[in-house]
Amino acid sequence: MTEPEFFSPGWAAAVRDALADGPTEQTRAGKLAMYWDFFEGAKASYTSSWALGCRDRPGGPASLHVQWGGGTVTDCRITGPADQPPATYVLGMDYADWQALHDGYDPQRTVMYRKILVEQGEILEFFKTIYFFTECLGVIGRVPAAFGALPVR
Amino acid sequence: MAERKSPTAVLHEGPRALSDQQVRDIEGAELKEVLDVDIDDVIEYVHKGLKSLPDYTTLYRKYLKQRWDVYDLDFTQDKIDWTEKMTDAERNSFLAIASGFHHGERQVEIELPVFMIGAGEEEKLHIAAQVEDEARHTVFFDRFYREVVGLQGDDIMDILDASFPWVAETFVGPFGLLAYQADEVRKNPYDERARVRYGTTYFLWIEGVLALSVMKVTLSYARWRGFLPAYYTGFTATCRDESRHVQGGMKYLQDAVRKDPTMTREIHETLRTILTLAGVASREVIYEPLGWTQDEVRMLMFQQLGRKLNDVGIRLPPDLQAMVGSVQPTLAGG
Repeated sequence: MTEPEFFSPGWAAAVRDALADGPTEQTRAGKLAMYWDFFEGAKASYTSSWALGCRDRPGGPASLHVQWGGGTVTDCRITGPADQPPATYVLGMDYADWQALHDGYDPQRTVMYRKILVEQGEILEFFKTIYFFTECLGVIGRVPAAFGALPVR
Repeated sequence: MAERKSPTAVLHEGPRALSDQQVRDIEGAELKEVLDVDIDDVIEYVHKGLKSLPDYTTLYRKYLKQRWDVYDLDFTQDKIDWTEKMTDAERNSFLAIASGFHHGERQVEIELPVFMIGAGEEEKLHIAAQVEDEARHTVFFDRFYREVVGLQGDDIMDILDASFPWVAETFVGPFGLLAYQADEVRKNPYDERARVRYGTTYFLWIEGVLALSVMKVTLSYARWRGFLPAYYTGFTATCRDESRHVQGGMKYLQDAVRKDPTMTREIHETLRTILTLAGVASREVIYEPLGWTQDEVRMLMFQQLGRKLNDVGIRLPPDLQAMVGSVQPTLAGG
């Protein structure tokens, strides 16, 4: 099966399904039930939205817009600068770091090393559910995607 | 080192009184003499300084006298203790705790410089010294993981990569928050509210509560068993460095609140986020091989938090007080 192109509508649809399903059993194994209770509690009550941007994407900047509600993803699509809906948290990451996340780079370090940053949004509120966010970032990273080579600058 | 009393003895004895001579001994000890300093005395020394917070120039002058050379440490005996004397259970528990510091020291080293931009001139001296301290602590852990634990790599990041599997998923709570708050300060370096929020995470929580609590666990174990002399020496010297950091950080927060009492709200809101995250653990850590129980580590953290808040005159509203009761031991510091 051909992998959908990164930041394509097909990839966004696969991300939506993966986020709705949540982390795999393999990911859940080895972590305390308390941690997953926190994750499920956050997911059930989360009503915020993320605009996860790719700053230097070949073809121009774009965002993955993810809206949460009712314990699942209610909207998940690729938006451009001209049609980006308001989001609770606007975050940005470079193409190479998206690719590294896809190749298995740790989502926790992706946050800690500021490879992804909150560009708009209330940080203290965002961090109250940071474990939910980092696990979702890991889920997104594991969705199959085809990455093209970045043009040499 | 002779075998000493149990690691948790001081927890049940309560705060100890330090004589003026003991304070002079701690402040003036050369690196090779630090092996004979009791870690509980150093932690008490941190709080003694909080009663009358020194000014930044005094802290900077102390730094110049107390700076130690991380390359003077000889880990030969530590390697023997690690491989021949410690049990698998002891090594696993030790790594589960020390790895949070290995990464924590690196994190605070790189997040601190932006805080200097909006600081007063004397405070800049103190922060510059603190950045150098944190860099030295990063090298200390790099050496420990290479020369004692036996991790291999070409550079500091290789060793960080190799120890990262021991770091809990919840590490991103305080240290991710600090990274993003550092970015807020970078964008608006003179925004005093952003600086107070940053200072609450770094100086009050990461250094004042997490670091001082958790560093005591491995150090009291090493002292109790008479193991890892270079680790004990370097990390106790690190604790003495932290005393200056905590005192400077508490002075900053105290001054900020005195100047503008509404800053208390920034401290409370930051603690509300931190305590929300601190109520969750992702991994079970077995403390018993190091002479501790989970409840004792939790009690240690309560004591540290209570003393810091009390010493700098910050009160918690009832909802935050209630959240403190559900804090899980966090194995990290910086």
